[in-house]
Amino acid sequence: MPSATIISDVVRTVEATPAEGRLLIAPERLDDAIGWELKPQGLCREDTCVPVRDRAALFQGDDLDLSAVAAVLGRPSVIDAEGGIAALAMDADGRRQALDSLRAPSFGLDDLDGNPHRLEQWRGQKKLLVAFASW
Amino acid sequence: MLIDPNHLLTELYAISNVPTVIWIDEDDRIVRPNGVAFGTDMFKDFTGVEAGPHMDAVRRWVRGGELPIVADEARRAVGDLSSDEVLARLHFRVAAQARRRGDDVTARRHFALAGELAPNDFTIRRATMPLVGGDPFGQEFFDLYQDWQRAGSPYHGLSASDAT
Repeated sequence: MPSATIISDVVRTVEATPAEGRLLIAPERLDDAIGWELKPQGLCREDTCVPVRDRAALFQGDDLDLSAVAAVLGRPSVIDAEGGIAALAMDADGRRQALDSLRAPSFGLDDLDGNPHRLEQWRGQKKLLVAFASW
Repeated sequence: MLIDPNHLLTELYAISNVPTVIWIDEDDRIVRPNGVAFGTDMFKDFTGVEAGPHMDAVRRWVRGGELPIVADEARRAVGDLSSDEVLARLHFRVAAQARRRGDDVTARRHFALAGELAPNDFTIRRATMPLVGGDPFGQEFFDLYQDWQRAGSPYHGLSASDAT
């Protein structure tokens, strides 16, 4: 079974099949791929579910079309099916709301030694987030 | 020091050039959004931005809680990314991943698409240069800088003149 790397808030590699520019994922693999599951009530992650009006439109045969799933979640996507790579943005409404609310968006990144860190670990302290590039 | 190989922060915080500094308070609220700031005066002659005023403002915030900008101004200071700018970030991530795999053909195609979608975004255009064999301090950078100035110096965040 071919695999694909899916980049969203984290990077995951899962079984996926390229088909005419689409990446197809077995429904039971969706959670591994993007952290969401297809349930009777919709696409769900923890306590949040997004209703799916046209469930059939998510499918190509027995598998889920990743771009269709991303669209239902309101997340722009770029799929390179033949290259086995996909990137999903965060949902557009969520990003706008975060900017409007001035709530610092949560993120997780590794340090130089590969240790994971999250913004929340410094809660209770003032933080300077300095973004720079080595170019 | 954290590493952001997929430029997630440029999407989450609408960052279009670096260095940029964001002040986040004890409750994880942004109290001073993206803004140009430097730690030293190494590039002062080129950028026109001195490091001192920002560093002084940081000290006043840390010691006395003084903020250089009120919440309403902070809210308006960072324009949201356009849909093209979001797509550019996604193409950049696909390109960077392809490059890590050694698939230069796929990488170059997506780097090019990213640059077309966000022609004035340094986190896309300048960041691409060293990844495709270019020189981010060479003529192509100065050409980009000139094009950016001609376009009105578009920037997501506080400008250099009001960054403190």
